[in-house]
Amino acid sequence: MAETAAALPGAEARASARFAGFVRRRRLAPYLLLLPALAGIALVYFWPLAQVVLYSLQNFGLPQVTGAAPTQWVGFGNFTSTFADPEFWLSLRITVVFAAVVVPLTLVTGTLVGLLLNRLGRRMSAFVSTAALLAWATPPVSASVLFYWLFNPDGGLVDWTLSKLPHWLVGSTNWSGFNWTTTGALQAYTVLTVLVVWQAFPFIAVTTLAGLKTVPAELYEAARMDGATGWRVFWRITYPLLKPIFLVLLLLSVIWDFNIFTQTYLITGGLGNRDEFNLSLYLYDKAFTFPPSYGLGGAIALIFTVILLVVTVGYVRASVRQGALT
Amino acid sequence: MKLTRSAGAIGAAVVLAGAAAAGCGSSGSSSPAAAAPAKLTVWRMGPSVASQVTWMNGVVTQFHKQFPQYAKTKVVVDWIPWASRATDWTNALSSGKGGPDITELGNTDTPGIAAQGALANISSDVKAWPNGSDIIAGNLANDTVAGSNYAVPWFGGVRGIWYRKDEFAKAGITAPPATWAQLVSDAKLLMAKNPGTFGLGAPSNYTNAIVSFIWGAGGQVAVQKNGKWAAELNTPQSEAGIRFYADLLLTQHVSPSKYIGQTELGAPGATSGGSDEDFAKGTLDLYIDGPWAQTSMQAVSTKYKADWASFPIPSQTGPSPAPAFSGGSDLGVWARSPNRTAAWDLMSVMDNPGNATTFANLQGFFPEFTSALSGGKYSGSPVMSGFAKAAAYTQISPLNSKNWTVADATDAIIPTMMKALMQGASFTATVNKANTELQNVLNTGSES
Repeated sequence: MAETAAALPGAEARASARFAGFVRRRRLAPYLLLLPALAGIALVYFWPLAQVVLYSLQNFGLPQVTGAAPTQWVGFGNFTSTFADPEFWLSLRITVVFAAVVVPLTLVTGTLVGLLLNRLGRRMSAFVSTAALLAWATPPVSASVLFYWLFNPDGGLVDWTLSKLPHWLVGSTNWSGFNWTTTGALQAYTVLTVLVVWQAFPFIAVTTLAGLKTVPAELYEAARMDGATGWRVFWRITYPLLKPIFLVLLLLSVIWDFNIFTQTYLITGGLGNRDEFNLSLYLYDKAFTFPPSYGLGGAIALIFTVILLVVTVGYVRASVRQGALT
Repeated sequence: MKLTRSAGAIGAAVVLAGAAAAGCGSSGSSSPAAAAPAKLTVWRMGPSVASQVTWMNGVVTQFHKQFPQYAKTKVVVDWIPWASRATDWTNALSSGKGGPDITELGNTDTPGIAAQGALANISSDVKAWPNGSDIIAGNLANDTVAGSNYAVPWFGGVRGIWYRKDEFAKAGITAPPATWAQLVSDAKLLMAKNPGTFGLGAPSNYTNAIVSFIWGAGGQVAVQKNGKWAAELNTPQSEAGIRFYADLLLTQHVSPSKYIGQTELGAPGATSGGSDEDFAKGTLDLYIDGPWAQTSMQAVSTKYKADWASFPIPSQTGPSPAPAFSGGSDLGVWARSPNRTAAWDLMSVMDNPGNATTFANLQGFFPEFTSALSGGKYSGSPVMSGFAKAAAYTQISPLNSKNWTVADATDAIIPTMMKALMQGASFTATVNKANTELQNVLNTGSES
C-alpha cells in the first residue's frame, strides 16, 4: 500500500501515504474490509428492522399506506394488546411445545442415521443418504401437500390403512374419515411432527457424518481394544469431539422449528383454525389478513425476534465457554 | 389522444386520472376523448366459468353499442379465487398498482373495504341511475357507509338445506321439516334408511349458516344500542341455537366429527373434500348451502342430480323458517381507478335488470331487483323453490357492520367458538369468551 502511495506525485501522494500509515498503525485494515459487507447488511437487514420498530409503535395499516388516514403514534399499545391476547399465549405455547418435541426427535434420528451411514459400505451408504436427502430436498410446499393427501379424511392412505388394521392394534376409533388436520392442535401437530422430522433429519445426518469423518480412527480402535461398548464409545469419544457441531445443529433446529410456517399454514387449513396457530401463523394472521395491521404485526415480529435472540445468545455463551468460538 | 399500447396507457392513464379528477369532479360527464380508456379491468371472484365468460362477452358488446365513445376500450376480466380476494385487494391498495377498475365484492366485504378507502364514492351515479330505485332497498343500504354509496348489489342468495327426493321417499318423509325437532328426527331417519351416510352436515367453520340457527331461536349475534354494538351470543335464545348446532355432532351424532375445523367446502383453502362433496357423492343426506353450490356439486357427481331439492332452514319451533343470512355479491368502482366514469358506465350495463337477472339465473342466484323477483317465477323449480321460500325471511345485520371482516376473517370468533364447543369445551365459558371478543371487535376493531 505504501509503495503504491509513494509512486503518486506531490501532495496527493503524501496524503495517501499518511492515510496508509494511519490504517496500519491502528490496525484498521480488517475493519475497512468488513465495511462493504456491513453496508449490505445494514441496507437489507438493519434498515427494515428499524422500519419494523417504527411501525410497531404506530397504528400502521392500509389507510396509512394509501394516505387515506394519518399515521398515529400509539406508544407500546401494540405490545400490550398482544400480551393481553390469550391466543398469543396459546400460539406461543404450541410453538414451544412443538420445538421441544421436534428438536430432540430430529437430532436423535439424524445422529443415529449419521452413525449408521458411517458404518455402512460405500454403496449402501450412497443409497441411504440419497433416500434421506431426497426428503430434505423436497420443497416444503410439495411435502406438505403430500402429507395432506396421506392424512386426508376422504380416502387418505393413512386413514385407509388404519381402518384395515384390527381394533386391538389401533383402538376402536373410526379411522376411515378421521380428520387429522383441522379437528384439533394435537392431531394436526402429530402430522406436522412426522413431516418436519422427516424433512429435517437428513441435514443432521449428513452434518454428523461429515463430523465423524474427521475423528481419527485410532481413537475408536484404542477404545475397542480396551473393550468399550458402542454406547460408551459414543459418549466418551464421538460426543465430546462433535460437541461444537451438535451445538450448531441444536441452535439451527430450534430456530427452524420455531419458524415453521409453510407446513403449518398448509396442514392446518390456511388461517381457518386459530386453535392450531403457532407464532408464525399468529403473526401472519394479525399482520396480513384483511384489514392488515402492520403495526401490530411489527410488534409481534419484534417479540418473536427477541425470543430467538435469547436462544442465540444462550448458544453463543455456551460456545464461548467451551472454547468453540476462539 | 389515442392509446394503442397498454404499456404506454399506464403512464398516460395516470396523467388522465389527474385530469379527470381535477376536471370533472365526482359525477360530471367529461369529454369523450379524455374518458375513453384503452382498457378496463374487472375483478371477478371464483373460478372462470364458460357460461359466465359468454355472458360477459355479451355485456361488453352491449357496452360498446350503448356507449360509442368506448368502442375501442378493451374489457379484461381477472378471476380472483374467493379465498385470496382480500390479499389481492390489499396488495393493489398498498402498492397503488395493479388494481382493477371494477371489482366484485362479497356483500359482507363492502362496508369494511369501503372503510379502508378502497372504493370510489358513487352516490351521485346511483342517484342518477334509472334502475337504482328498483334495487331491493335493504340491500342497497348495505352498501352505504356514512350516507354515501360505495357499491351496488349485483346478485343475492340465501342458504337453505339441500335434500334428495329419492331419499325422502324411501324414508317416507312427505313434508320437509319445519322445526328443529323434526329436522333432527328426519336426519336420524335418513341415516337409518341409508347405511353409511350421515344425516346433516354441521361444519364448525360456517358462520353464515350458524347465524341462521341463532336467529331461528329468536336470538341475535349483536345489536346496536345508542350507536354501540352489544354482542348477544350468550342470551338464552342465542345459546339455544349455538347448542343445537354443536349438538348435531355432540349428542345427536348426525354430523361426522371430520367436519370439525372445516368449512362447508372442506378444510379452509383446500380444493377438495367437505360436506358439499359428501352430499354430491351421496354419503351425506342433508347439506346446508345456497343454490350456487349446484355448480361445484355437479362437477363432483351428477348421479343424484335429478333428485336434488331444497327446503328453508327451519326455526326452533316453526312454522316460519329461520331467518337466512342474505348473501350475495356487489359491484364497486376501485377508488384508484383512473377511469372512474368509464368504470361506472360498464358497471351500469353489467348490472342492468336484464343482464343481472340472466347472470343470477345462470349461477343459481337471485337478481337484486324487486321487479325481477315478483310473480313466483322460481316456485316451479325443485332446487330453487326452497331457496325462494327462504329468501322471504332474511337478515344481514351485524354481518354488514364495518368491523365484521375482523370478527369473522381475522379473528374467526364464531368458528373458533363452535370448534371449541365441538371439541367438548365448557359451554358457558366458551360462549362468554366469544361474546366479549365479538363485542370488542365490533366496537373497536380489536379483540382486547
